Amino acid sequence: MSEERRQRSVDPATLEMLARASAEGINTVFDRAEKMKPCPIGAEGSCCKNCAMGPCRVPAPRGKEETTEEKKARVGLCGATAETIAARNFCRMIAAGSAAHSDHGRRIVEAFRIMAEGKAKDFTVRDEQKLLKLALDMGVEIGSRSNQEIALDIAHRCEAEFGKQEGELLFIKNAPLKRQEIWRKLGVVPRGIDREVVELMHRTHMGVDQDYRNIMRQGVRAALADGWGGSMIATELQDCLFGTPSPVLSEINLGVLREDMVNIIIHGHEPTLAEMLAEVSAEEEITAYARSKGAKGVNLAGMCCTANEVLMRHGVPIAGNFLQQELAIITGAVEAMVVDVQCIMQGLQEVAGCFHTRLITTDSRAKITGAMHIPFDEQKARECAIAIVKTAIDNFPNRRGGVHIPQAKQPVVAGFSHETINYLLGGLFRASYRPLNDNIINGRIRGVAGVVGCNNARTPHDSAHVTLIKELIKNDVLVLSTGCGAMAAAKAGLMVPEAAKEFCGGGLAEVCEAVGIPPVLHMGACVDNSRILIAATAMVKDGGLGDDISELPAAGAAPEWMSEKAIAIGQYFVASGVFTVFGATWPTLGSREFTEYLFRDMEEMYGARWAFEPDPVKAARLMIEHIDRRRKALGIDKARERILYDMAMRRQLEG
Amino acid sequence: MIENKVIRDTPGWGKIEVLGETYEPGSPRGEEAGRWRKKLETREEKLKYLRTAERYWYSADWFGSERRKNPA
Repeated sequence: MSEERRQRSVDPATLEMLARASAEGINTVFDRAEKMKPCPIGAEGSCCKNCAMGPCRVPAPRGKEETTEEKKARVGLCGATAETIAARNFCRMIAAGSAAHSDHGRRIVEAFRIMAEGKAKDFTVRDEQKLLKLALDMGVEIGSRSNQEIALDIAHRCEAEFGKQEGELLFIKNAPLKRQEIWRKLGVVPRGIDREVVELMHRTHMGVDQDYRNIMRQGVRAALADGWGGSMIATELQDCLFGTPSPVLSEINLGVLREDMVNIIIHGHEPTLAEMLAEVSAEEEITAYARSKGAKGVNLAGMCCTANEVLMRHGVPIAGNFLQQELAIITGAVEAMVVDVQCIMQGLQEVAGCFHTRLITTDSRAKITGAMHIPFDEQKARECAIAIVKTAIDNFPNRRGGVHIPQAKQPVVAGFSHETINYLLGGLFRASYRPLNDNIINGRIRGVAGVVGCNNARTPHDSAHVTLIKELIKNDVLVLSTGCGAMAAAKAGLMVPEAAKEFCGGGLAEVCEAVGIPPVLHMGACVDNSRILIAATAMVKDGGLGDDISELPAAGAAPEWMSEKAIAIGQYFVASGVFTVFGATWPTLGSREFTEYLFRDMEEMYGARWAFEPDPVKAARLMIEHIDRRRKALGIDKARERILYDMAMRRQLEG
Repeated sequence: MIENKVIRDTPGWGKIEVLGETYEPGSPRGEEAGRWRKKLETREEKLKYLRTAERYWYSADWFGSERRKNPA
């Protein structure tokens, strides 16, 4: 394998399939990334195309200091400064990211309401406990009412969160009290989810908000409307509908595909259809139909965050993360790739055309030219799922061009929801975060890190995730992970309990062994970053580590980020008090002043800031240094020897 | 969740009622092994768990660091 190929990914299955793609002359995102370099002006946030007088380009001078006159002249036609342009571009990324997660949340609320109204016969409340928890959180009467009645009230309250014009989002109350006060003082508490996104789009329109601090204030508000609003609603209601994740053993990587079975890949983000596909594909009638076409049965596998959803709840294996979507089709073994929304590359259709694979879109919001469209309707969920599975089965005899499935796959233990972590740390008898806090205080665990986010074809696939995470756990930092980052860790064998012995520092390994958990905990899809917010809040509330998330020895990272959702997530992490390091690229470097505002000034306002470091080892060091500073501030930076007092020593004390 | 109480003969105190083992016997295996939420069967059990564990900071007797300043 050539050195050039090796640098594209650290994952052997990916490299194997890239070699096949190259041999067959099939273009992938990896090839396109080599042929087309990113626009340097757009990459640093210095291009304004918000009106037809532009696009205006105001790039920062390279290799020299800018004079005052030069800086003064670096404006768009309307006079917008590099600061305003960078802030507008950054905030429009937040708006799009928040909109994506929140629209996901909205669709889940709709499905939940239809279920509560009795119109979606194939769905029910699978987790009554989560339903009751939401009822308590939202002030919905429980009494002797049925689950359907309670669910309907919750659905209406959640629906109202999107269109609310004033007041505060309900889940803001879930944050630590001190954090709520910081938000109120700064005027960034979201009023309604849609309102904050719409207002942000308005304020970044030509000729509106032209002070980067004021633009950013609304950016924070919209990001919080995502993390503590749309995303949190999505996570909570999905748990009600499909079950709160608990530990489950499965496998990950392209090796989970089967030559002798009908392979269906579910790709995207919303779990409603995927849940039904998981149920239907295992039914005897479907297996018999697959046999009639020469296959042994149906093998369902996931891709991207839909994969995380059905892995966490059903143990459905994962075929790969974002950059592996085209490669799965290049195995020649995929009968259907079923997609819904977000992170679906249009290049899939071109690749599918080289094989027999059916690319099936299922959501009216996301169609792809040339792909087959089978609309998913929650009220006819089962019928839709059966139609999709049968389409895939019918396609099995059409395989052409040979099947080549890499052998690479790894076991993964997933399903670490906040609730499950709480349970694992004390059982039903005394579930709490106390053991975690105690082990942070006594120094066995140095701190906690959230490592999340995408893959980016501009950086070696999975490399930064795996390197960063290994560096953290080696230094006794417990890692919580979601999205494509979690998949990268799982493929590297970091999401099994045995990984503790091989990769961790002594303290973290001891705790992992005692609790029986991996050192990197899979907490779900990217929308489930809200679980990390709740876990951080639980650590604060349990006591001993300060009164706010910003006081915790904790940090966040997205070393291979790519999507606008990642920026929204990063911003709600920072605004919630988490020091957050991004890798790959940084979209505001065109304005030093605005970048310093994000990288320095935010610390004074929110107790946390952004940082950019493309080297994963250096990024890990930044996070560990931050964790150590927080430990020092809490007075837990020095190891204290534990002394077992005998009676004589006690008497001496009393004397 | 079944409350497992046993009677123990204690020196100086006579027979007293104490909590018995709460762990599951053996080593659970299979698909259902990790599905701990199914252990709570009734609504009362679930509410009790919520008040004492998952949402214990909303209950009257929690001891977290915010308690000393502002009751939640």
